[in-house]
Amino acid sequence: MIYDISHRTAYHYKSVVTQSQHLVHLAPREFDYQTIHRHSLLVEPAPNTRSNRRDYFENPISILEIDQDHHEFVMHARSVVEVEPRASIELGRGIGWEDLRSIVTRPRNGIDLDAAQFAVPSPFTSTSPKVIDYAAASFVPGRPALDAAWDLTKRIFADFTFDGEATDVSTPVDHVLSERRGVCQDFAHVALASCRAFGIPARYVSGYLLTKPPEGKEKLQGSDASHAWFALWTPDTGWVDFDPTNNLMPSMEHIAFAVGREYRDIAPITGILLGGGEHTVDVAVDVVPIATLP
Amino acid sequence: MPATKCAGRLLPVEMHHLERTMMNASHNTEVQSLAELLSGYAALPGSYDELLAEDGDLRPHWRTYVEAMAGLVARERLGRAARLERLVRETGLVHDIFADPETERAQWRLNLAPLIISAQEWRSLERGLDQRARLFNAILADVYGPQELLRSGQIPPALIFADPAYLRNCHEIAPPGGHLQFYAADLARGPDGQWRVIDSHAETPAGIGYVVANRVMHSEVTNDIFAHCQTRRIAAHFHRQQDALIKRTGTREPNMALLTPGPDHDDYFSHAYLARYLGLHLVEGGDLRVVGDEVFLKTLEGLKPIDGIVRCIEGARSDPLELDPGYFEGPVGLLNACRKAPSLSANALGSAVIENRGLSGYLPALCRSLLGEELILWDTPRWWLGDDIARAHVQTNLESMVVRPAREGTGRPGRAALGRSTSTLSDADREHLKQDMAMYGQKLVAEQPIGFSTMPAQTAQGFRPQAIAVRFYVGGTSDGFSVLPSGVAMAVDSRAAVALSASTGDTHDVWVLQDEPEKPFVSLWTPQLENARVDRAQRALQSRVADNLFWLGRYLERADWTMRVVRSGLGHGRLEYFGTSWSGHASAICLRLLLEKGRPDHAPKHGAKEAQRSLDLAMDLVSSTDGDYSLEQSFSGIYRVASLTRDRLSLEAWRTASVFRDGAQWHRQLQGISVSEIQNEIEDKLAAIATFGGHMHESMTRNYGWFFLDMGRRLERAYNLCDALHALFATPESAESDAERLKYVLDLADSYITYRSRYRVEPMLPLVLDLLLLDETNPRSLAYQLAILTTRLEALPQPNEGTSLPRERRIVLELLTAVRLANLNEMGEVEASGNRERLSRLLQHAQTELPALSDVISRRYFRLVDDEPHRIGMRSEPAQ
Repeated sequence: MIYDISHRTAYHYKSVVTQSQHLVHLAPREFDYQTIHRHSLLVEPAPNTRSNRRDYFENPISILEIDQDHHEFVMHARSVVEVEPRASIELGRGIGWEDLRSIVTRPRNGIDLDAAQFAVPSPFTSTSPKVIDYAAASFVPGRPALDAAWDLTKRIFADFTFDGEATDVSTPVDHVLSERRGVCQDFAHVALASCRAFGIPARYVSGYLLTKPPEGKEKLQGSDASHAWFALWTPDTGWVDFDPTNNLMPSMEHIAFAVGREYRDIAPITGILLGGGEHTVDVAVDVVPIATLP
Repeated sequence: MPATKCAGRLLPVEMHHLERTMMNASHNTEVQSLAELLSGYAALPGSYDELLAEDGDLRPHWRTYVEAMAGLVARERLGRAARLERLVRETGLVHDIFADPETERAQWRLNLAPLIISAQEWRSLERGLDQRARLFNAILADVYGPQELLRSGQIPPALIFADPAYLRNCHEIAPPGGHLQFYAADLARGPDGQWRVIDSHAETPAGIGYVVANRVMHSEVTNDIFAHCQTRRIAAHFHRQQDALIKRTGTREPNMALLTPGPDHDDYFSHAYLARYLGLHLVEGGDLRVVGDEVFLKTLEGLKPIDGIVRCIEGARSDPLELDPGYFEGPVGLLNACRKAPSLSANALGSAVIENRGLSGYLPALCRSLLGEELILWDTPRWWLGDDIARAHVQTNLESMVVRPAREGTGRPGRAALGRSTSTLSDADREHLKQDMAMYGQKLVAEQPIGFSTMPAQTAQGFRPQAIAVRFYVGGTSDGFSVLPSGVAMAVDSRAAVALSASTGDTHDVWVLQDEPEKPFVSLWTPQLENARVDRAQRALQSRVADNLFWLGRYLERADWTMRVVRSGLGHGRLEYFGTSWSGHASAICLRLLLEKGRPDHAPKHGAKEAQRSLDLAMDLVSSTDGDYSLEQSFSGIYRVASLTRDRLSLEAWRTASVFRDGAQWHRQLQGISVSEIQNEIEDKLAAIATFGGHMHESMTRNYGWFFLDMGRRLERAYNLCDALHALFATPESAESDAERLKYVLDLADSYITYRSRYRVEPMLPLVLDLLLLDETNPRSLAYQLAILTTRLEALPQPNEGTSLPRERRIVLELLTAVRLANLNEMGEVEASGNRERLSRLLQHAQTELPALSDVISRRYFRLVDDEPHRIGMRSEPAQ
């Protein structure tokens, strides 16, 4: 399946911004099942300097610096990405979570740092009695690790209410756990904290999701959105994705853009401004399946 | 007020005394005083004593020092201790410059007795410390590079990955000379006589400024003994540091800055002191700006490139764009600049990861594999609780352990937190601790306390044993590392502490002895041939510093003026001297004027007679705590801005300004004090301001900073004078009252003597106005202030505004012209309204334009940007 993904963000500032610097994670990365055909990032006003490189987790990033007065700032990312079916996974087989935990820290020959670095709690996925309480029901003795992750996915979907107002980017996972409300990144954080509390390598994935309009209605332009989920690592399968917000395992309708320990590592846009005062932001995302490459 | 004569002995006598001590060490009286000095001293059971060997004899390397001390009469020893205390106070070694000066906890204390380390012992300490710096450099190169140590498990990956000081975005930023420029280690000596490391510091220079300050103050009172003991000096070490810093930048004449979090930080004193000692710009995050991948300093003359940064801010707080978004302690984009120039920051960002206490147990093996050497200096026995096996060991041996966080910030020496000692825990708490260890093990360590050695502390009763730990410092040179032959020894509570957590705050200088006399002393300022050149250019002045200096000038002048007004209100003896009848009316007018500044609704008390009223008003002004002209406000203003610009002031100028330290306490101090005591206080403070003015004129170079300090004084003086003249002469009352007011204002403006020497007549309005307004040779006149302001403004970098004069210069030119053109006879005329309209107009004009001038200067030079930076972020949108 080929997708044309458009992500346009426009900031409107109440007072003039004299200088700004932004770090953006808006470019997709490659995976075994995913090919990048095209990517462009248009920025208005044109930045004085722009550098593109990879971050610590190998995600493509851009750093933009604008050194002129402006009241509006627009970033428009366009990407053409091809997603192929993933290898099928048998959840009920494979390594048990206790064994997984010990081979991450004490392997026979060489530690896989890609896995080990994600087995440790991060600032927004820290371990707590609440986290352990919640996760323990999924990590029962002897259970295959992937099966435990799937159980966790189903439980989060059932136990938590989707609520865009209940949390913001700085809500700690303990709060989400006691309120049982939040958005996709909160649910991903709950799952990550749960896995890492038991020493299981798990990472945060951000990207997009193909959405379908309500039945009988036409899809509105700009009505799609960015999305987040989590992935768990085992030595035989590599990284396997789980989407607790939608109670499923991502396949052809999820397009992954970046991976990290948590939201903060790969937030789509962050920036520092001089001036600006209050601001409003308009976001329009379109995920359009296309038949052939344009 | 400290007695000033207690330490006033003449040096030749001291030297003579000392000589005698040395020559006749066996003389009866000397033996007696030696015994007396040590009479109260005994080693504590169960710990190593630095001074006395197990058999109770003096350790040989202490003998010269102790004999020299014994050779001083007891009064001299106490005198030196008192003088040292005074130096510490005047140098301003406080932890928070805005803290309540009476808080004992905040005080830095330096004990008269140094810790003495023999040349032989130093050689092994030096080797051990140097080895550790090399080892940590190698570890950092790996964890921020190939990560082989993690992959092979020589360092457990979770130890590094769980540490917030591991800055992932700094991966692959590899300074060619290594990450570490500054390394410090806290050492304690166990009962077996072995030194062990209890903490390592690599985030910042770890308070090395305190060592320099300690040494400077200490040698002021013990230089004779210091030299006699053949103690090693520290200047050469800093000279090498300076060379290394220059070399790191790769330029011949680099601009280097010391980046501090600012005056609210615990270590600010050390930052300011070090910056001055090494000749670095003392800057805060907001003073710097990154353009593309280069760092610049915002100065009065625009952006100046910065080639090297001595980083005294935490790595994680150094760049809000790529690191912790909550902090603006470093400039936005610093990381990008470090990618371009990996040696830009010293230490390199992320170096603090080696402070992790969990590393302790892995160091011996790492030392073997990375350096091929056996580890010389071991850490205190310690287990990282993120390791299952170590945790199991600790849980079964919990009784002897102290549990502590694996990471703690690098602070000022003596600020480390105490751990949780397990031996005193209840059963429930112990279970709780075990739970914590299981849950947060990656962030905890357990350790066995090794105890502390004791050394003599000088007290009023002679030497007393004191438990100590010592912080030693290592610095990168252009060729490996060099260990500072000194350090700071700190008193610790031996029962409670496992780290450098001082209970009393007492510190000691550390004297490292040498076998042979030292080679000639290398001054820090000896120019290297390759980088010496005549340079009269201004050191770039940050806008923030210019602002503070300007206000220092204003506060000094304001305090001076207010005190003059108060002085005349408190007693009219001075006016009697001028031979006039005195009603106190003139004084009351000026006092009321100042009382109402910034407090328009102020309603002063009323006395029966004018003289009585002026006394009441003066007391009001002395004791009020609000209002723009209250002494309390001005004094604390002086102290605050002087503290902020300390690196720009000479040591003497700073000491003078530091007498205003009690500004915030001024009011409290006055409780129950008599009028004559207040008069004395005021005279002392006036003298201090005069002294400051003297330092300013005699020892500060005429650079931009000086210009702003001077402009602040001129502007304030001009304003106060116009204000008083207007209040006193705009509306005449009677001939007698004019006569009194004229004498009064001449006294206030310090111009009475000049008037008397010029004119044989009683003060007359036109003559007085000529002297105080028009006479450009009178340093108290309005015209003089305006003329000086003109010169200063002309010398500053000019804004680019086409061909027209910039606004601030127009204001001054216009005012000065109006004054020069004034017709004195017309000025004195009383018009139909009953007022001296022309005089009044001129003065009122000045009263509106001078504050406007201050605003324009401030906008032009100080606030280049009005806004604080802030952060925006975007959240993933809901999707379901």
